[in-house]
Amino acid sequence: MPLLRKEVVKAEEGEIFDVELSKDILKANQLLAEENKELLHKNRVRAIDVMGAIGSGKTSLIEKLVQQLKNKHRIAVFKGDLTTTIDAELIARHGVETVAINTGKECHLDANLVKKALLKLDLNKIDLLFIENVGNLICPAEFPLGSDKRVVVISVTEGPYMVVKHPFIFMDVDVVAINKVDLAKAMGTDVTKLEKDVKTINPEALVVATNCRTGEGVDSVARALQL
Amino acid sequence: MHEFSVTSQIVQSVLAEAEKGKAKKVTEVHLIIGELTFLGLEQVRFAYEALTKGTILDGSKLVIKTQKGAVKCPNCGYKGGFKYEDDPLYHLKMPTLKCPRCNSLVNIVAGKECIIKRIKMMV
Repeated sequence: MPLLRKEVVKAEEGEIFDVELSKDILKANQLLAEENKELLHKNRVRAIDVMGAIGSGKTSLIEKLVQQLKNKHRIAVFKGDLTTTIDAELIARHGVETVAINTGKECHLDANLVKKALLKLDLNKIDLLFIENVGNLICPAEFPLGSDKRVVVISVTEGPYMVVKHPFIFMDVDVVAINKVDLAKAMGTDVTKLEKDVKTINPEALVVATNCRTGEGVDSVARALQL
Repeated sequence: MHEFSVTSQIVQSVLAEAEKGKAKKVTEVHLIIGELTFLGLEQVRFAYEALTKGTILDGSKLVIKTQKGAVKCPNCGYKGGFKYEDDPLYHLKMPTLKCPRCNSLVNIVAGKECIIKRIKMMV
């Protein structure tokens, strides 16, 4: 019976060899996002991403949601911005724990920044976390953070083509708030057209028309998020 | 959108692998980039060239294969490409989450990857 031999193949000097790697670079963020989600679930915290265009009303929506829900839920908010704590302070004045995440120059939050921000919170003391991303309809779509549901806020003042021009972010979203509907007429923006565009891309997305100044429609956003 | 930082991670991963294999030179790097990522291939190539200057990757061939986006329908079992809404007048080509066969909501199964498939190196 032949002896079993263990052979090791080695490349010789100057020889070229091929290495199969199959390493996914974007996976690193996805794995961190999964870890965040696990940590949040272990502590029974539901997390909601709030994404959307610059100036569309993400912070206003969160403020109104906080006002409506703070007696029902123990809420914390992560507020992403390049710099300043201006918006974080707007939210904090409603008496909820707020962590400002300043990305410096990065145009979106990533799972690592959220992981670091989670260390600042006592997760036993909350059951609902809003994560407001940097105003941007492009990059946040590529970087999941570990949330359970995702909201995108757009507003009529950005014009009638906001959805069709940024289709990707709407593929991965649960609720879309079309904000500043009180200005739709003055802007000549058709809210039903925007809604139709969202539904074309993602038939399951729930679309709500809001005016986050007055609070109109915000209860529907909360319901759509099952809060 | 994030070509430079993503490419920088690619170059670092390849360098680490080359070091492990005690390579003197990396001659080829093969990537698979999904259609649904926000990575422009032109920019990836540009960043690759800039980032590999002066390293053992300098002058290596970068081969990029695009992975088409694919969906699977939980309702009718369709597996394949996206349904697009298009309007040539506005140069609009919008992928939708509707099943091309039965119009139900589909799941994305491919197109979001950015994979270093393999590398060729000289020892």
